[in-house]
Amino acid sequence: MDNDNKITDETRNEQEIETEVPMGTVHSAALEPYRIRLFVEDEIVRDAEMTIGVNHRGIERIMEGLPVEKANSLTEKICGICSNSHIWNSVLVAEKALEIEVPERALYIRIIMEELERLHSHMLYLAHGNEVLGHETFSMRLFYIRETVMELLRMIGGNRVQYGVPVIGGIRPRADLNEMRIQRLTEGMDFVEEKITDFAERFVADPMIMSRITGVGVISKEDALRLSATGPTLRATGVAVDLRRDMKEYDPFEFDVITQDDGDVKSNLLMRVLEIPESIKIIRQAIKALPEGPITNRSWEMQDVTITKSYIEVPRGKLYHSYSLDEGRVRNVIVRTPSITNIGAMEHACIGNHITDAQLAIVQCDPCFTCTDRAIQIIQL
Amino acid sequence: MTIVDSLIALMAVIGTLIVAFAVSVWLPGIERKFVHARIQQRIGPPLSSPGLMSPIKFFFKEIINPNSPMPGLYNALPFIGIIISVLLLLIIMPQMYFFATFASVIALVGLLKVEEILYMFMGSLSKSVLSINMPFPDVVKGAKHPNVPRSFFEELSSMRAFRLIALGSFPIYIAIFVPVAMAGSIFLSDIVAYQQLHGPVLFTIGGILGAIVFFVGFMILMNEYPFAILKTKADVIEGPLLEYASKYRAYVYISRGLLIFVLSSIFATLFLGLPPNLLSWTILINIIVALAFTIIMAIVSAFSPVFTYKQFFPVVAGVSVLGVLAIIASFL
Repeated sequence: MDNDNKITDETRNEQEIETEVPMGTVHSAALEPYRIRLFVEDEIVRDAEMTIGVNHRGIERIMEGLPVEKANSLTEKICGICSNSHIWNSVLVAEKALEIEVPERALYIRIIMEELERLHSHMLYLAHGNEVLGHETFSMRLFYIRETVMELLRMIGGNRVQYGVPVIGGIRPRADLNEMRIQRLTEGMDFVEEKITDFAERFVADPMIMSRITGVGVISKEDALRLSATGPTLRATGVAVDLRRDMKEYDPFEFDVITQDDGDVKSNLLMRVLEIPESIKIIRQAIKALPEGPITNRSWEMQDVTITKSYIEVPRGKLYHSYSLDEGRVRNVIVRTPSITNIGAMEHACIGNHITDAQLAIVQCDPCFTCTDRAIQIIQL
Repeated sequence: MTIVDSLIALMAVIGTLIVAFAVSVWLPGIERKFVHARIQQRIGPPLSSPGLMSPIKFFFKEIINPNSPMPGLYNALPFIGIIISVLLLLIIMPQMYFFATFASVIALVGLLKVEEILYMFMGSLSKSVLSINMPFPDVVKGAKHPNVPRSFFEELSSMRAFRLIALGSFPIYIAIFVPVAMAGSIFLSDIVAYQQLHGPVLFTIGGILGAIVFFVGFMILMNEYPFAILKTKADVIEGPLLEYASKYRAYVYISRGLLIFVLSSIFATLFLGLPPNLLSWTILINIIVALAFTIIMAIVSAFSPVFTYKQFFPVVAGVSVLGVLAIIASFL
């Protein structure tokens, strides 16, 4: 065969692609600013390129040199949806580095906060997914259910977004749970479970929705692993990986790792729907077995430590924080959010779908780009 | 016809138009406040806001020139839409039936086609800043396919409008011919007279099927969910309407409200034999039909995701087949 006529992946793509449709950075289907260039042929996406970076805030640079308590507090500002996850993981880095023993009661309350955050994040995801589908009614109803979780978070943390519950050695005193709060938590979980079950039954019984989401934005198990997908996006392809299984904080709790097989929008949406009852199960166990005792361990001393890493499972997948401590101040801060590793999966999911489904294929991976757009590294070429 | 009769007829036509405008400004509010908001368990906008206060507000906003090769024509299109709606309403008024050729379903179909073509023009005459490019170079070294020509949302919408004209609007035109088949005439006066003698077309098998098909066609023509492929939030956002601002956007809102009333009046004329006429109590039926269409449309759209071609064309094909069955049933 003549080498000149050999069709490579690149030349084949160039031959097929007729038009580019750029979307963003401002678009009604995107909650956050990102740019996607869709390469289409008769409205079918043949290739996609996603670019982020318009919301750079440089939080790592700001954290550099701050006292560790202040730096931890700043990590909450990385993300408005999973603020607790960031501060918890950042606090875990310090606790791991300084070998601080955390009281059991504080551990349980941290788990309750994290699972509440997972609940509201998943419901926000489902609401946004329905909004992009064009089903405003389901979207509004999910926001209505989510409101209960937001109020519970406000009750414990004092805020609806940045609760500031974990501190080094335990939790903030105002976040301790008394009888009244436990009662409201219990009632809230009953309400959310009832409503989300009702929603799930209606959702899967709606033929129009099923027709829109089945077989759309498919990511195979092999592609998900190749593209380093993480969290529910990876689990929706059938890979049973949940970092909570490896976290000692979750050892006392029974829960199932939910997986789906198809890796399409339906699998991703159902993943979150089915993870909600698991989170409720964990919260109920934590409430029931909540130990008595102190909520903070103040008997620790600051010392210099080298770079320490911590991974936790947050609503979108694996979250990484690391820093070193130098005279009580943080150095070499690195944060990696799950969305950055899911970008490859997002681009891949668009390919082969109608252009209307492209945003849906991106949304299925639950992008959170404001927390991903933090740091830039300038490399002199 | 005496001069007095002519004057009365003229006053009736003007009065009917005023009633149509007066009712149409409340229909979007009813749709959003009483149906969407109630279904979605939220308060919703004030009743007068979507159809009345918003257009008034837009009339007093600063005029922003659209990003268009022919901004004058682009801005004129919504007003042309209003004129077409008015013409459609005039056709079906009984006072106008003496213009025999003009007051026929052929004229109805022609004007509805012009209404559809407007979206194609709108789409090809605008390029919103949201879709064309960034204020900085976004095709960088190493970017994929750097030399592929760019399209924009309005262009996509325009192509979709063309597909709607070619195929998507079949149902409403098939449904319009159900009363024609029954009455054996294309003239509206004959269709109305037939129903005064034999009862409304709606109360026959063919009529019921035709009404269902008409309603689906009505939703497609209104670009309402689930048939809103021209203005889908997931890709083209508002599509051809994206660049309208100030008073031109007000015209878009007025045009939409009026089109709801006009299409429901066409339904009342063709399927109930009750054309809009201020001199008759039956104008109330026209208003009730407009309300019913608005409410049913809002309920359907509230419980539907937006369709892509994969769902849209099979539905259109299925409904068109139903329409053909309705015509066969009406011949029988």
